[in-house]
Amino acid sequence: MRSITSGHVKAGLDSVRGAKWRNFWTILGVIIGVTSVITVVGIGEGIKQQITGQISQMGQDLITVRPSSLKATGSDSNNNLTLLSGLNVTGSLQKDDLDTISKLSGVSSASPLSAVSTNVVADTGKYSGGLTIGTGADLPSLLNQSLAYGAFIGADETDSNVAVLGKNAAAHMFKEDIPLGSTFKINGQEFLVRGIFNNFPATPLSEQADFNNAIFIPYNVAQSLTKNTAFIYEILAKSSSSSNVDKTTKNISAALLKNHGGQKDFAVLKPNENVAVSSGVLNLLTTLITGVAAISLLVGGIGIMNVMLVSVTERMHEIGIRKAIGATNRQIMSQFIIESSVLSVSGGAIGIALAYSIDGLLRLFTNLRPVISWQVVATATIVSLVIGIVFGTLPAVKAARKDPIDALRSS
Amino acid sequence: MALIELNDTSKLFGFGDATTLALDDANLVIERGEFVAVMGPSGSGKSTLMNIIGLLDRPSHGVFKLDGKNVSKLRPNRAARVRRDTIGFIFQSFNLLPRLTVLENVALPLAYKGVSLSKRLKMASNMLERVGIQDREYYLPNQLSGGQAQCAAIARALVNDPKLIIADEPTGNLDSAASRLVMELLSEVHKMGNTILFVTHNPELTRYATRVVYMHDGAIIHDEKTALGQVASTAKRALYRLPVTTEEDDLAGVSALMRALPGKPAVPTRKSTRKKAAKTAGPKGTSTRVKRIKK
Ligand SMILES: Nc1ncnc2c1ncn2[C@@H]1O[C@H](COP(=O)(O)OP(=O)(O)OP(=O)(O)O)[C@@H](O)[C@H]1O
Ligand SMILES: [Mg+2]
Repeated sequence: MRSITSGHVKAGLDSVRGAKWRNFWTILGVIIGVTSVITVVGIGEGIKQQITGQISQMGQDLITVRPSSLKATGSDSNNNLTLLSGLNVTGSLQKDDLDTISKLSGVSSASPLSAVSTNVVADTGKYSGGLTIGTGADLPSLLNQSLAYGAFIGADETDSNVAVLGKNAAAHMFKEDIPLGSTFKINGQEFLVRGIFNNFPATPLSEQADFNNAIFIPYNVAQSLTKNTAFIYEILAKSSSSSNVDKTTKNISAALLKNHGGQKDFAVLKPNENVAVSSGVLNLLTTLITGVAAISLLVGGIGIMNVMLVSVTERMHEIGIRKAIGATNRQIMSQFIIESSVLSVSGGAIGIALAYSIDGLLRLFTNLRPVISWQVVATATIVSLVIGIVFGTLPAVKAARKDPIDALRSS
Repeated sequence: MALIELNDTSKLFGFGDATTLALDDANLVIERGEFVAVMGPSGSGKSTLMNIIGLLDRPSHGVFKLDGKNVSKLRPNRAARVRRDTIGFIFQSFNLLPRLTVLENVALPLAYKGVSLSKRLKMASNMLERVGIQDREYYLPNQLSGGQAQCAAIARALVNDPKLIIADEPTGNLDSAASRLVMELLSEVHKMGNTILFVTHNPELTRYATRVVYMHDGAIIHDEKTALGQVASTAKRALYRLPVTTEEDDLAGVSALMRALPGKPAVPTRKSTRKKAAKTAGPKGTSTRVKRIKK
């Protein structure tokens, strides 16, 4: 049995090569299905890995506190907030929330992240490529992020006009390579560049929230710059040890609830919950695309079935000859199933190759870093094989059932 | 025990008014080692007989024993295995698979038997050497002459070492030189002890046979043993009385053959009361086309 199989694979490949264009259109459905599934799953997997990478860099003991809703109030032409352009956003987190969290026993350090609407003017003119973020002295240790040059805002500098720049912000704002000690203006006030961050790991999905483009200033200064309107969009808190993250999270929740008069308008997220939020969306997207791909695979399978039915009719005489010299029904059937499988697996292979090319293009031209795992490739191959077998069965049965003498007589 | 034994075997095609009795209560016993020529006008049921003996078709009535076993109601897969292991087919139109090389064509029956690739290619190559076209191993069938193609087909029929070889007009598409080549080849195979059945319209070729069976209207009407190298006497009478040169002579030749047969009417029309109508397919065929539609 095995000895005829190789011959039939060859015959299958021959017939794929033989009627190239007809077969190409036939397997297009399989190609599209396989390509889209691999691409989408790859993008999703890439995003998950980027987020997980960030978390593992930040550590397993980092607790994130966020307002559960960002309220957009009337737009103000002076405020040019890059997070949500043109909207003045107020959150539910206040300075006393930060103080409360900092004083909790399980928390070793905490820093706010507060986006400020600013007008930044530096050597190269107005800079509007990133956020200005008011934060605390512990930010680098909370994020596990090192500086390339200089130092971060010191604990004694919380009221000084000093700034630390993201890598890209530094490159865009100043002509010189390392602008340490240079000055620039925020809302007319002069700031001194104290340090420059190393590259932050890529943040998926949002270019604007990229810390590499951001300017970091002390939180108190940010407050005074904006006359206490700077809102805190996130408080990062480090648990004193990774074993009591759960307990600390509960404590923070309880303390804030008290602060907010029993109103739960905030969310306290453990490190992995942070991932869960984004992966929920991704899973939905993946499910949707998988559905679309399933339909296109079904269409592809029906196409293959059609071409195989035509092929069986065209090759009736050949079937007759094969039966005359001793091919059993099973052997004829396996011949045609192998041929349809070769067709569909070729479609799958082209689809996989196409998905890899799309992956390359996405890496070149977007912020996405799709990851194509071998499991996905293996699954795609198996699925296309199964399609070939399932949709090849009907034509193969038709070929196998044909009476040898009738088959020989047809030309 | 005879290799082939037909007992009142009949084959009907179609149904209702269009029923054809292609084989009419045929009785035939063929022993091992015989080299049988089957002759008869077109439509007389020669191919039908070959197909039944070759297990490509099943008789409608009667018994067909191959090698002592009743095979008249064999299931398709069993029949396929018997064909593969004991029967080799040679066709008028060669029937090589056009997309396979000569070597692959010859090796194909071995593939269905499950012989490993390298072994079967070697066996096929040896067989091609035996039929004298080993230098054409890697040609495609359409790159061969008719004679070479038929040699390849013979190699394919022989490769499984079958007991029985069935050739339905093996020289039908060949000129006289190529015909002789093919028949010499079959003779050699016969000398090795194989049983061969072949259909021919050419009386000359009966000189290769040890026995000639004449058919008419689905019935075996005459059966004679002949000496090897001699044209069968019945066929000879037909042959020498009226040399066949034109289509009309061809038609007349058949009539002559019929006349020459002992105990048969001079003109091939109605054979018995059962036969209702006779129809001639027109003068376009290469030989006579006497088609009979029976009830
Ligand atoms: N599949 C079929 N369906 C209906 N009738 C058939 C079929 N096959 C053969 N016949 C009829 O059976 C009769 C015998 O046909 P067969 O092919 O055996 O003749 P033959 O002796 O081989 O003729 P030829 O010398 O032309 O090859 C013919 O009348 C033919 O029309
Ligand atoms: Mg015939």
